[in-house]
Order: sequence, then structure tokens, then C-alpha cells
Amino acid sequence: MASMEKRLHKELQALTKEPPRGVHVDQESISRNITEWLVHLDGAEGSLYNGEKFQLVFKFSQSYPFDSPQVMFVGNNIPVHPHVYSNGHICLSILTDDWSPALSVTSVCLSIVSMLSSCTEKKRPPDNAIYVKTCSKNPKKTRWYYHDDDV
Amino acid sequence: MAEEFVFDPNKNYDDATMAQLQKMEKEIAENQKLISDRVSFDSLSEEYAKEDEIYRTKIQQDLKNRYKCVRKTRGDGNCFFRAFGFACLENLSNDKSQLQRFLEVAKQSKSELVSLGFPEFTIEDFHETFMDVLTKVENDCTLEELLETFNDQGLSDYIVVYLRLIVSGYLQKESDFYSSFLEGDRTMKEFCNQEVEPMGKESDHIHIIALTSSLGVPVRVEYLDRAGTSTCNHHDFPEDSTPVITLLYRPGHYDILYS
Repeated sequence: MASMEKRLHKELQALTKEPPRGVHVDQESISRNITEWLVHLDGAEGSLYNGEKFQLVFKFSQSYPFDSPQVMFVGNNIPVHPHVYSNGHICLSILTDDWSPALSVTSVCLSIVSMLSSCTEKKRPPDNAIYVKTCSKNPKKTRWYYHDDDV
Repeated sequence: MAEEFVFDPNKNYDDATMAQLQKMEKEIAENQKLISDRVSFDSLSEEYAKEDEIYRTKIQQDLKNRYKCVRKTRGDGNCFFRAFGFACLENLSNDKSQLQRFLEVAKQSKSELVSLGFPEFTIEDFHETFMDVLTKVENDCTLEELLETFNDQGLSDYIVVYLRLIVSGYLQKESDFYSSFLEGDRTMKEFCNQEVEPMGKESDHIHIIALTSSLGVPVRVEYLDRAGTSTCNHHDFPEDSTPVITLLYRPGHYDILYS
């Protein structure tokens, strides 16, 4: 459906024109393929991740924005955080159960920045080892259980 | 005989569970249109087994006497919004003075959402589709065309999203009043993000009050449940209004009633 591309172009325009602090889209990645975006994320000042740089990959299906995007950390710096697995998968409810077509790449980035910023202790999820060993490559194929919103 | 199931803690069952959920969704989609034609109450009571005495009695001895027929909707968590949307537009197509008022409200609604902080680029496609369908009604489209629009998953879901956004906008605007109805310690914004805006999240009284109040389209809901003996209770939203559409509630589901 062309409505997915139309919507992604609008989002790209908005995100390029007024990017939230510490978020910028890798234009080169998108020029190759509008359905896969690379987004650079800076650890926020005053947070445990200050000075660190991260990369997120967004993959969009034909049903976007009805289907949530597939979002994960990639590259050689995966943030050490209780909701981020060492393979880059993120446990965040808006990426599955609480996704809404009124959300966007920008709102997902802001949620991830806020999730990182509210972290008080850098550690991996308690089930990291078994999850990384048995999970699907696509984090959307995991049935997440959302334990808390505090970190 | 079925193979005995042994849980392996080192194995991931998410794929299998999700495949099963998807299969169930597909079966529901194949068996039930998003919005059905008008059907008789007999086909409704057929859904209940002989031993389901209360439901069958209420359908045959109460609903059947007071209403002519029913239009069923698909049980996908969006049924309230889809039933309301269809019944509302079907009603407006027969009431041109109300249609003009409704068009104004619908036109205004987008700038209200933007002023509440919804980014324009995420809501404008849904608003456009909603206005397109209203324009079809204004241009005297047939009932068949309206039914076709609501059974086209793409268009139909766009309408549902927009109605969800209207509810979210209204509740956030009136959060001083409505926050007291929320359970737990969620803020109104969190409630809207989690229970109103996502597709497939079921509707409660608060959704109904918000949608009927913000659009000025009062609704009567007849409750087909196990309460009482032989008649259905009903409730009007907003209270003391004169409803223009009637919905039938069965636990977890909404259909449309016609008198």
C-alpha cells in the first residue's frame, strides 16, 4: 500500500526538520530503502549514558502505521540497561501491545531516550542469557511481559 | 491420542503461541464481516446453546419485540468504534441537517487534536479519510457503498483510528473531570496511550461517554447479559439524552440494533 510510503516520507521530513535533542536519522541509509532506517542516538546529558553513542534500526512493514515498526539497537555499543538485551532487543510496551498508528519514529525515539535516562543502575535484564539464546531474530515475535515502567 | 506436552524451560514457545493467536484471528476474520448486513434475531439466538436460557429468553421475548433486526460486527477489539461509526453515518445519511452540524464538528476536530499536541503528520491521513467518507455521505452515497467502505479493512481501520483519536483528545481535554474515573495511578495521558489509541483495545463506559459527548451523537446501549431474568437493561450516553443510534452489548462485544 502506498499509504505506508507516504506516511514515512512525512515522518522523515518532520524528523529531519525538527529532530529531538540527541536524535538524528542516517539519511544515507534511507536513500537506499525507505522501509529501513538507521537512527543515531546520543546518551542524554545527566544520565548514566552521557557521552555514549547508540544506533537503532527501524524496519517498517507494508501495514505501517497499523503494524508497529520493528525496532532494535545495533552496532558495537548496545546500551547496558535492564530492558535492553545484549542482542539489541528492547522490552518496551509501545513497540508491541501499546503501539498506536498515532505514534511515530519520533515518539519511539523519545520513549527510548527517556527509558535510558531514567535508569539508575546499568545492568542487563535478569533473563538475558536464556532470552538471547532462544529468541527469534525479530523482536516483534517475542511475547513480551511488561513488568514495570520505573526504569 | 494427543501427544503429552512436556514443558522445556530451555525452549522458546513464543512463535507457536503467536502462530496460534494469528490463526484464531484469521478464523474470526473469515467467519465474520467487519459490518454485516441486517440479520434477524433468530440468527442471534442460534449463537446460544439450548442451555443458555437467559440469553435466548431475552432475545426472543424482549429484544425481538422492541427491535426489528441487528447488524453484527467483527469481534476484533474495535467493535464499539466500528459499530458506532457505521450506525452514526448510516443515521446521518437520512438526516441532512444533523449531517451539516457533524461535518463542522469533524472538520474542527483535527485542529483541536493538533492543539493538544498530536503531531499533524501522524493524524492528518486519518482525518482526511474520515472527511472523505463523510463527503461520500453528503453526496448521497448508497447504503451499499457505505457498507462497502466499512468492510474495506484499510478504510474501515482508518475511521476506527480517527474515532479513537477523538476519544483520546476529548478525555485529555476534559481530564480534570474524567481522571477521577480511572483506576490505579495512571494519568489520563497514560490511559489514553494504553487503552484508547492502540487498535484492538476494548471500549469501556469512559470511551463511550467521551465519543458520544465530543461528537454530539447520543447512543443507547442495550445490555444482553445474565443480569435479571427476561428483559435487557439499557443505558443512554450521555444520560438523559435522546439517542439516535442503538447498540447491543453482549459481554465483550457491540453490535448495532434497529427498531
